[in-house]
Amino acid sequence: MWGAGLLNGLWITMRNLLRGPITVKYPHEKLDLPERARWAVAPKRFEDGSPRCTACMTCVRVCPDHILSLEVETREDKSKHIVRFDYEIGACMMCGLCVEACPFDAIEMSHEYELAVTDPKGLRRTLLADVDAASAAKHREEKPKAEGAAGEAGERADG
Amino acid sequence: MSDPRYEVYEAGLIGEGMHEPPVLPAGLRRSPSGVDGLRTEHLVVNMGPQHPSTHGVLRMLVEVDGEEVVNAEASIGYLHRGIEKLAEHRRYDALGTLMDRGDYVSGIMGELAAALAVEQLLEVEVPRKAHWLRSLTSELNRIASHLVWYGTFGLDTGAMGQFLYAMRDREAILDILEAISGQRMMFNYVRPGGVVRDLPPGIDAKIRAFVDGFENVYLPEHDALLGGNEIFQSRVKGIGVITREQALAFGLTGPNLRASGVRYDVRANRPYAAYPELEFEVPVGETGDAWDRYLVRMEEMRQAARLIRQLIDGMPEGPHAAKVPKVLRPPAGEVYAAVESSRGETGVHLVSDGSEHPYRFHYRAPSLFALQALEEIVPGHLIADVVMIIGSTDVMMGEIDR
Repeated sequence: MWGAGLLNGLWITMRNLLRGPITVKYPHEKLDLPERARWAVAPKRFEDGSPRCTACMTCVRVCPDHILSLEVETREDKSKHIVRFDYEIGACMMCGLCVEACPFDAIEMSHEYELAVTDPKGLRRTLLADVDAASAAKHREEKPKAEGAAGEAGERADG
Repeated sequence: MSDPRYEVYEAGLIGEGMHEPPVLPAGLRRSPSGVDGLRTEHLVVNMGPQHPSTHGVLRMLVEVDGEEVVNAEASIGYLHRGIEKLAEHRRYDALGTLMDRGDYVSGIMGELAAALAVEQLLEVEVPRKAHWLRSLTSELNRIASHLVWYGTFGLDTGAMGQFLYAMRDREAILDILEAISGQRMMFNYVRPGGVVRDLPPGIDAKIRAFVDGFENVYLPEHDALLGGNEIFQSRVKGIGVITREQALAFGLTGPNLRASGVRYDVRANRPYAAYPELEFEVPVGETGDAWDRYLVRMEEMRQAARLIRQLIDGMPEGPHAAKVPKVLRPPAGEVYAAVESSRGETGVHLVSDGSEHPYRFHYRAPSLFALQALEEIVPGHLIADVVMIIGSTDVMMGEIDR
């Protein structure tokens, strides 16, 4: 019968009406992000608050969009001092390749997703500035404590 | 106006300076005669690139005689980002980030095509589990992509509610894919050698719940809401016929080709990933009109749900990626790898010179071929049917312009 499909459509719409809303009232209500969600890159720190970054430049080389930049000073005793670790968030596509490549688990894809800014200057962030880079020795010291915690970054290479 | 390009759009107006016939763009014809002594002319309508029905930024230059289209010309390039050139400066493991942004509605399949090409060059043996994870995410993505097509196809007809229902179901898939890969659309999940991560714990139940609901409740609802609607049927049946010969001549692939009656599916004919081990049917149409394309895609969603069930039930144990070097330097050579994406055969032709970056990267976009066929099939239809035909072919400007 011509028109039966139309009536059935109305019936389906009615059923969907009774199913209730599936949306939430953002920003008053927010959904939880899955653990693996990739948003803005953020530096990670040791328990004492010093950065885990050793200024090895791996992330800078790996980034497909060349948006990370690391300005480093090397002292006489070969220890490194990070002058600036810049991150151009406006150009970041959040692919996570830098985090995967980091051998020291020093950066992470954070869950910070509200990235709108009112000033274009906000599109460029300084992740670290004027701090001493962590030494490999410090990472070795920490390793027995957090066995496996750093496994995520090296997961792909380890198979 | 002195610019001949603007005169074209005023061709239908009568006014001073219009006594001289305006210059038409190459390939467009003028009506030969008037009616009852009145001078009538063909009108050139500029559809897009900001038209809501053009699925992205497609510009169609349509020459109409009253309501009837006599000539159509598709103009592309409004979304060009130079993906093929950019790829020449990307490392091999970052090619997926570009492919995600080609066909951005079914990113996993694009990534997979690039990964398969690199693996052919590297001659890596991919673990069985990686194959299965690739197929699983591909099929989830296929449903998500077809739901976008289903929703926007309805929008082209003037329906609204079913678009929102389609987006609701797509959201459930995107949530699953986000939990697996970390992002909703730009997954960057499939890499040369395997996939980035194994499934997160507890996702099986989520996928099962989704497939159960989708197969038993939501998909029948979608089908009844649009396909069961008599107005929609009378609107799409018989329009935009692509014959078998035309489809083959234009090099169509995917649902558009199968709707014309050719049983060709890369998953079945040149199997990759886990497809040789899986059971599924390749639906084909008969006449190749918009209605057949609708039926084929709806059936494909059913088959995808069936595949997901098999993939979840039979998910093997083992590593999810093969051991590959951190910096990939495939030996010099030339390969072509193809996958069946939601729109057809998405292929990657890769030329390596042995360095860190590809020497040449070519992306075969199935929508480009469908768009070329459009110019041939659109003339003779009413102007209102043009949007329906474009919608039925599911062209994706992201991959056409690349």
